[in-house]
Amino acid sequence: MLRQPLTRALALSSPSRVAPLAARRFADQVQAQPDKVEVFIDDKPVYVPPGTTVLQAAAEVGVEIPRFCYHERLAVAGNCRMCLVEVEKSPKPVAACAMPVMKGMRVKTNSDLTRKAREGVMEFLLVNHPLDCPICDQGGECDLQDQSMAFGSDRSRFTDIHFSGKRAVEDKDVGPLIKTIMTRCIHCTRCIRFASEVAGIDDLGTTGRGTDMQVGTYVEKMFLSELSGNVIDLCPVGALTSKPYSFAARPWETRRIDSVDVLDPLGSNIVVATRTNEVLRILPRTNEEINEEWLSDKSRFACDGLKRQRLVTPMVKDSRGNLTPVEWEDAIVAAARALRDCPSDKLLAVAGDLADAESLVALKDFVNRLGSENTCTEQFFPAEGSGTDLRSSYLLNTKIANVEGADFVLLIGTNVRFEAPLLNARIRKAFIHKETDVALIGPKVDLTYDYTHVGDSASLVKDLATGTSSNEILKRLESAKRPVVILGADQLKTEEGAALLAYTQELALRLQDNLQDKEWKVLNVLQRTASQVAALDIGYRPGVGAALAAGPRVVYLLGADSGIVTREALPKDAVVIYQGHHGDAGASIADIVLPGAAYTEKRATYVNAEGRAQQTLVAVTPPGLAREDWKIIRALSEVAGAGLPYDTLDEVRERLNQVSPALVAYGDVQPNNYFAQARALAKSLQKPVSGKLDVQLKQLEDYFMTDAISRASPTMAKCVQAVLKQKTAPY
Amino acid sequence: MSLAKIFSLSSRVRAAGANTVLVRYASSGKEGQVEKVYPPNIPGYKYVNAVDPIMAFKEMSDRAAQTIFWTELARGFAVTLAHIFKEPATINYPFEKGPLSPRFRGEHALRRYPSGEERCIACKLCEAICPAQAITIEAEERKDGSRRTTRYDIDMTKCIYCGFCQEACPVDAIVEGPNFEFSTETHEELLYNKEKLLSNGDKWESEIASNIRADHLYR
Amino acid sequence: MSLLALDKWAKLVTIISQNGGIFKSIYKLWRFDTLKWNGKLVGTDSLGNKYYENPYYMLGRSRWVEYNDYVRWDYDATQITPEWYGWLHYKTDRLPHEDPAKYCISCCAWYQKWMLPPEENLSGTELAYYPYSTVRQHIQVWDGKSVCSRPTPCVCK
Repeated sequence: MLRQPLTRALALSSPSRVAPLAARRFADQVQAQPDKVEVFIDDKPVYVPPGTTVLQAAAEVGVEIPRFCYHERLAVAGNCRMCLVEVEKSPKPVAACAMPVMKGMRVKTNSDLTRKAREGVMEFLLVNHPLDCPICDQGGECDLQDQSMAFGSDRSRFTDIHFSGKRAVEDKDVGPLIKTIMTRCIHCTRCIRFASEVAGIDDLGTTGRGTDMQVGTYVEKMFLSELSGNVIDLCPVGALTSKPYSFAARPWETRRIDSVDVLDPLGSNIVVATRTNEVLRILPRTNEEINEEWLSDKSRFACDGLKRQRLVTPMVKDSRGNLTPVEWEDAIVAAARALRDCPSDKLLAVAGDLADAESLVALKDFVNRLGSENTCTEQFFPAEGSGTDLRSSYLLNTKIANVEGADFVLLIGTNVRFEAPLLNARIRKAFIHKETDVALIGPKVDLTYDYTHVGDSASLVKDLATGTSSNEILKRLESAKRPVVILGADQLKTEEGAALLAYTQELALRLQDNLQDKEWKVLNVLQRTASQVAALDIGYRPGVGAALAAGPRVVYLLGADSGIVTREALPKDAVVIYQGHHGDAGASIADIVLPGAAYTEKRATYVNAEGRAQQTLVAVTPPGLAREDWKIIRALSEVAGAGLPYDTLDEVRERLNQVSPALVAYGDVQPNNYFAQARALAKSLQKPVSGKLDVQLKQLEDYFMTDAISRASPTMAKCVQAVLKQKTAPY
Repeated sequence: MSLAKIFSLSSRVRAAGANTVLVRYASSGKEGQVEKVYPPNIPGYKYVNAVDPIMAFKEMSDRAAQTIFWTELARGFAVTLAHIFKEPATINYPFEKGPLSPRFRGEHALRRYPSGEERCIACKLCEAICPAQAITIEAEERKDGSRRTTRYDIDMTKCIYCGFCQEACPVDAIVEGPNFEFSTETHEELLYNKEKLLSNGDKWESEIASNIRADHLYR
Repeated sequence: MSLLALDKWAKLVTIISQNGGIFKSIYKLWRFDTLKWNGKLVGTDSLGNKYYENPYYMLGRSRWVEYNDYVRWDYDATQITPEWYGWLHYKTDRLPHEDPAKYCISCCAWYQKWMLPPEENLSGTELAYYPYSTVRQHIQVWDGKSVCSRPTPCVCK
């Protein structure tokens, strides 16, 4: 007859044991949170630090208060009034997003008054919101739709018997990425706040009051930002929607596959939305370590490049020199014959921007089995000193998220804004919220925030490193508690690259030695491409210059599309095998083309600039006869008589694990050490430098088309044209 | 007098005889004594189950005679013969057709506005609601900036003709027309695409419009 | 009269005479499998099919169509026009010219521009509908030569 749980029955039987337990629990709570205030959300007590808003406190206990204008990563505006809640002893409902908690506050999030307030706000919002949900792209993922279902009235009092019409606002043209239907705007000002706070573009704002209020750019102007796509996600209604994706699909019919972006070195986390085996759009996936919840425009909008210029069938050059489609067997046999007949020292493999770690390791193993060591990456990195042996010398050691905590950022020869837009957003965040100072050595570029321009001479780095500089930057660097030095990998291409790297290492490590925080890493090298870190980890030689000079007979291009390997640089009779997914610079010089898979079409490992291994997943199948890259190399190796010892992805990853465990430690960054050794090895390289630092991507129009996918993307081409046109506009 | 009449008369006589037998059985019981009458004779109820044949000699010999002389067979033929002269109960399709409701859900059609502009705005609600997942829509922005489908396929062999698509449609674009005579000789012919559906609408518009008008008070 | 079922014979004679004599009646019976009595011709559609009504018959048999002689034995249920479809199916008692929804459409010049003539079920013929894709190819295949590059500044206007 145990009606009660056993524990409770026992507890009841011995009240003397229960009482102290309860007392202790109570005491614990009070003691553990001495600086917190107690508030009651729907009579549930919660302890929050003072200054927390009611809305955040409610979120603590799992009560979600509806909101339109409030966003965690933006400033509080408090103008949508949707978050009105009843607070006891308050005469009026208060806006939860802007109201800081007070001691003993009793908030009622589901009282009659609250519900009536929400219903009223919703009614006012809907008075001027068009009912065009069936043709609205936001339909299905619209905050207004959802919240009017949840909190709105069940009937309408809106009877437009005189057909006077709802408020109508002219649409704005803000460029080829964002479609505006301003009649749908509910004036939450999220886009405005995003533009001025995160993107650093103060172009958006409101004009007029009341019914005449409009969000816009005052004068017709393109939204000149590399982060503009994020306002589409931020917009709670369908006022700002994606132009390339317009009318393409509904959110409920797309399959969403988590993946990783490869168009910039940061490896932003993305969600690939697909339908009928077609990539429709790419959305950011929240990862606090990398991209928060933003995504750069190239990563977001270049996905239509995945559908153009595709290699869908193997091709071999025919007798007239034209690439003609052939069967896999013919192409593989032709490639294997070329590889087998080639003397091993005349064989060269070049990895491109978008190569994944699996295919990189397979290609390297394959080439090694053929007796060659010539595996290179397109991007250069000095091999002198520690070269690529020590991981710390080619990574973002500070890590992307930690940049926020820096108090001084020195950028050397890099335009972070376009090389890694989300890293720049982090620096800007630190600049705005933490009063971080930024200094730049290199060409003067617009970084969206103020910085001290030190100069563009490479010798400035040397002076800073040796401590002989008279520049006040040196003093500020030395007094900084958490300095960060970021060196652009582009600078290492020149002859002085090795020296520049050596000086940067010297400078960074000298600063690091003086820090109180021993865990803080100062040295950062910002790579330009998604494949570079993995390639260097696997043991590719950076740069193709020397290998090309040796006159290779067979060149195997693994997605090498940067145009660094050209026909002119090769001997006349050289055979070029291109494996990749786009017909671009590499495929156009190839004799044999093997169609591979793009990053949305394979499960593959990419290592980002901070050394974090992440994997993409198969969102769509490769088009036509295209196959996953490592499988092509595996098949080729078999025919060429140098069969690779792995047949499944797991076995390839096991091989990756042998090469470096960091390559398969998904999501983790291994802390880098051996800074001192790298510094010691670099000592001898500290030669005088005199050149000027220059960056490749100076303007916004340079940003959009940097790799095979984005070059093939019509949207990116439109962006470039629109930016160039905007440049000629009077505003 | 027809042959059928003769036979039916004899059966009526027989039925009357059976009745008397029943009465005799019932009245043979003693007064005041509750006796089980079989078949039970309860007022307001009609006994419909088979009754045990009466085993009196006369009845038995009647039955035997009917069996021996095939009179049942002859009566059956007579019924058939009689129906030749009666009005048939079936309809003479395709010259006569059965009644249909204005709400009948037959072959799908995509409608147009009077101007000739297609109604469908590619909102994909029909696709979402279709329980058989028979509808496939692909959409894009048309040159003039309007939202239109590039593909509107209905697999008529998957469709269960539930009519949810026309219920879901905010612009009365997809409708299930009155036509049910669209059988085909191959499966493929029933995989309708957008143009087939639009041409259905263009042919059937007058009837569809009339049906919608007939039903407008209830929508 | 009724005792000798003479009324039935009289009716037979009426039916035969209404259908145009013995030979025509046999021809009709051959084509239509039935001979109708006292049918009132209520209209003819654009394909030449004649529609009759006689409420004497039960529902389902009281309205009928005589297909155009032109089709002979190749008559098909789908040869009737949509305008008459509803009336023939007892959906409405209004004849096409009495139903505003129908005659508005058939009179309106806007509709005339895009409405299509009725068409019978063409399955099994060469003209039968066969599905085809109405969308473009999603993947644009590389032609083997072209290389994309950054567009040059737009010089238009």
